[in-house]
Amino acid sequence: MKAYATADTANVSAKPGLAARLKKEWRKNAFVYVVLVPVLLHFLVFQAFPLGFSFVLSFMDWPIIGKAEFAGFKNWETFLHDRLAWKSIGNTLLFSLYYILPTMGIGLLLALLVSVRSKLAGFFKSVYFVPVVTSFVVISGIWAWIFKGNDTGIFNYVLSWFGIGPQLFFSDSKQAMIVLASLSVFKVCGSTMVYYYAGLKSIPAHLYEAAKIDGASGWTMFWRITFVLLLPIHFYVAIFTTIGSFQIFDSAFLLTSGGPNYATTTIVYYLYQEGFVGLRMGYASVLAYVLFFIVLILSLVQRKFLGKEVHY
Amino acid sequence: MPAALKRLPLYVVFALLGAVFLFPFVLMALGSFQKVGRAIADPLFWIPDEPTLYNFNYIFEASNFARWIGNSLFLTLVPVAAQLFLAGLLGYIFAKKRFFGRETIFWLLMAVVMVPNQLLIIPKFIMFSKFGWVNTYASIIVPELWSIMGVFLVRQFMLTIPNDMEEAAYIDGAGDFRVFFQIMLPLAKPALATVGTFAFISCWNDLFTPLIFLTAEKMYPITVGLSSLLTKEGNFGIEMAGAVLSFIPTFLIFLFFQRYFTEGIAMSGIKS
Repeated sequence: MKAYATADTANVSAKPGLAARLKKEWRKNAFVYVVLVPVLLHFLVFQAFPLGFSFVLSFMDWPIIGKAEFAGFKNWETFLHDRLAWKSIGNTLLFSLYYILPTMGIGLLLALLVSVRSKLAGFFKSVYFVPVVTSFVVISGIWAWIFKGNDTGIFNYVLSWFGIGPQLFFSDSKQAMIVLASLSVFKVCGSTMVYYYAGLKSIPAHLYEAAKIDGASGWTMFWRITFVLLLPIHFYVAIFTTIGSFQIFDSAFLLTSGGPNYATTTIVYYLYQEGFVGLRMGYASVLAYVLFFIVLILSLVQRKFLGKEVHY
Repeated sequence: MPAALKRLPLYVVFALLGAVFLFPFVLMALGSFQKVGRAIADPLFWIPDEPTLYNFNYIFEASNFARWIGNSLFLTLVPVAAQLFLAGLLGYIFAKKRFFGRETIFWLLMAVVMVPNQLLIIPKFIMFSKFGWVNTYASIIVPELWSIMGVFLVRQFMLTIPNDMEEAAYIDGAGDFRVFFQIMLPLAKPALATVGTFAFISCWNDLFTPLIFLTAEKMYPITVGLSSLLTKEGNFGIEMAGAVLSFIPTFLIFLFFQRYFTEGIAMSGIKS
């Protein structure tokens, strides 16, 4: 946008020769401007303006029906004392705990597995990837029946082989979040696999050959070479799974409705409840900004560290 | 023989993990042919002994399922087409054209990637209420006409294409549009395939946005429709039939464009 502002003021002052220069620039780049202007307008209306507007909203009482009023810091103060809001942040952190490391670990394991030279590897790589393209709604529909909380549930049936009695799963406030995390692990570890797979392919083979000559075992080679050289990938995957975990909504909405006893009320689920069920748009904006700050900090951390190259 | 034997544990692990990953889908597929009213008291309730198409018939007759599929197709294909076109065009402009403020504008647009959708949806809801866009296709389609990630992918790809062909075409007197359509666009096909695949999957699978903007049952895309079916029916076979129908398009896209999908993930992650 800066470009246009300066171009306009320059036009008004109209130094001799400038009009000619602008004309030349237009002749050279008319194509660019014809495409760019509508796109930037679209960007202003659907991205930049809402971003600013939601900040203003967080200082307003904005019911959908009725008059909007300036509320000062009221919404932000409410947030500080809102135990449910803090619980929702805690729940989201708990979800991250259950979700991030398993997704990374299983993804890495799958990547190691499918990078083995074998005709079957390609086929299984596809199989492990299928959940990634499947919607949360479909997987949630299936999960509801696998983790049914009585003795006819499929997972409870499997547990019974090991002499474990039927678990409640979705109606147990301790287990519900674990089951939701398992769904996300299942859905996402195929994409962490692909990142790790690309990382593994980029490790030069001569390193392994050298280590072999030195008599290193497979186990040592994994921890000393593979794991260490995958550091940038670990970092990238950790950040994107973390950002994803803070935005978890679909499964909590579909399977538990935030329950039991608010045990699966995540930040975004609470935001949805406040904004679109309770129609408290101002307060929901505060929650959205809290989410934004968390995601922003994580993204900036990622920017800072991802720039570093690893040299082999 | 010893070599094959050495490989055996590997194949066993492949197969076991494969079974874990496929089981939910097998459950869904088999379950969709299960009779209504089959006793649910058995943990093997999902295996139909007399497969039937009843569930599929029921879904189309008792709910707006056909309409939801149509809505989803429309709400997916229009943004995918627009995003492909604009990702190509903008990717080209940001990679190859020299104009004032190019880098500033590009990185300004990129900065917004960090803003979560959930933050923008509240002000957008108020805006769209004023526009009269709630419960219209426009509320979903218009904001999705282009995506900066797609532009980014195409730009990165085009930066690697040498300028020779483009320059030769200009010398031969080709205009901007011709150079773009006849030279750059065909060259960028792999990147565009990635953009299209990603866009399709994310539009088709989106629940949050249409849940908020499309509240009339006739306007539901398949995600919202299926979720209403899940909470309303509580009938295994019918739910699975709905799940199968909403899974098929993404699965087909995956089958045909799998390569671009995995390459795109690697491209966006490693080389950024």
